[in-house]
Amino acid sequence: MDAEFYQTIIPMLLSGIRITFFIAVTGILIGIVIGSLCGYILQTEIKPLKAVAEVYIWIIRATPLMVQALYVYFVIPKWLGVDLPANTVGIIVIALNSGAFMSEIVKGALQSVDPGQKEAAASLGLNGAQILFHVVIPPAFKIAMPGLFNQFIISVKDTALLSVITVNEVTHQAQNYAALSFQTIPTYTVLALFYLVVISVLIVLQKWVEKRFCC
Amino acid sequence: MINICHMKKNFGELEVLRDINVHIHPGEVVCIIGPSGSGKSTFLRCINQLEKPSGGEILYKGENILDKSYDIRKFREEVGMVFQRFNLFPLLTVRENVCLAPVLTGHKSKAEAVTIAEELLKKVGLSEKADVYPATLSGGQQQRVAIARALAMEPQALLFDEPTSALDPELVGDVLEVMKELAKEGMTMVVVTHEMSFAHEVADRVIFMADGYIVESGTPDQVLEHPGEERTRTFLARFLTTDKTEKYAGLAR
Repeated sequence: MDAEFYQTIIPMLLSGIRITFFIAVTGILIGIVIGSLCGYILQTEIKPLKAVAEVYIWIIRATPLMVQALYVYFVIPKWLGVDLPANTVGIIVIALNSGAFMSEIVKGALQSVDPGQKEAAASLGLNGAQILFHVVIPPAFKIAMPGLFNQFIISVKDTALLSVITVNEVTHQAQNYAALSFQTIPTYTVLALFYLVVISVLIVLQKWVEKRFCC
Repeated sequence: MINICHMKKNFGELEVLRDINVHIHPGEVVCIIGPSGSGKSTFLRCINQLEKPSGGEILYKGENILDKSYDIRKFREEVGMVFQRFNLFPLLTVRENVCLAPVLTGHKSKAEAVTIAEELLKKVGLSEKADVYPATLSGGQQQRVAIARALAMEPQALLFDEPTSALDPELVGDVLEVMKELAKEGMTMVVVTHEMSFAHEVADRVIFMADGYIVESGTPDQVLEHPGEERTRTFLARFLTTDKTEKYAGLAR
């Protein structure tokens, strides 16, 4: 490996890494909001909202992420008559995708909280919001944690698929470089190592959170 | 104090309560007995509307608490409940379990609630357990924490839904002891129970329920020892043959 390789690939990968992180973090954070709201709605009896959430989750779960990316990048801007930058589309797709899967995790976690605890809280005169935030969410959070971290990991890796809509995230950058330089072995090895390290950090974080909050 | 008039409850086609009339007076201890499926627990849960009654009225301080305009939280703040399965909040310590409701409902400041929690835990004999989590306690201890939690709201009355039914036999005594103490202090209590000796000793009134009706109601002496109705006699006979306290068995047969 010569110096020129490093001088070219390192800045390319670094800029790719920045975009990967930006899209993954922003997308997942929005996904958490979507997932929490939809997950909550799914276990209530508010029929119209529930129907909307169910259709959304169905569409996302029944189509591949790559198709979702292509659709939001090429089709939806045509309908709306606006141009959406690739990175914005990337965030939207990761958010919608992770949100749908997190909805199911959140729903399951909320439903698994012993109804007796809700009744006990109600019998003490607490209102709905107090019961939700002080009695239901803490144990539900504990139950949801492993599933949510799994989804974070999947979503970080899913950002690689956004290369199809020209998002210059790290995989796309690596592909570009490999195509120009024919240095496929070192390039893709560095790329794989990058994901290994990032996901390992997430796994360590998960272990820490589980230890810290889950007795 | 709590007047229940013509209360009904259906689950779909199933009539669980049919025309229940009970007046609970201040300071009174009412024990409700009856076979499983007779509607005892549903009756209790309809009082604080964990189940919504299908008909009738419940008058409390001159208001019908079943009115749509009535905020049931007001009633629940004043009438506490103790559950068969304790239902403590597992991620909160014993002290936090007791303090949660008075603080959230704005009855007490955090400091006041902590002081009251200390007093109540002492009262139920669990002062040293204030900082542990419920899972580390025995069933009997958990139930005493649950009683302290209900008392922290300084209730006018308490509803007990088979408070000792989920306990190992050797742990029942401690819980009943606490309840007797409350009765002595003049707490108004409605207790669904299978503890006949407790009913006999502590209750001012025993109500026998079957098939969603109140079959018989009277002093413990009347209902448990000289039941007027055939159904009561059959229940007590069948019940008491399996009960260790054979004191009343002969009489009931």
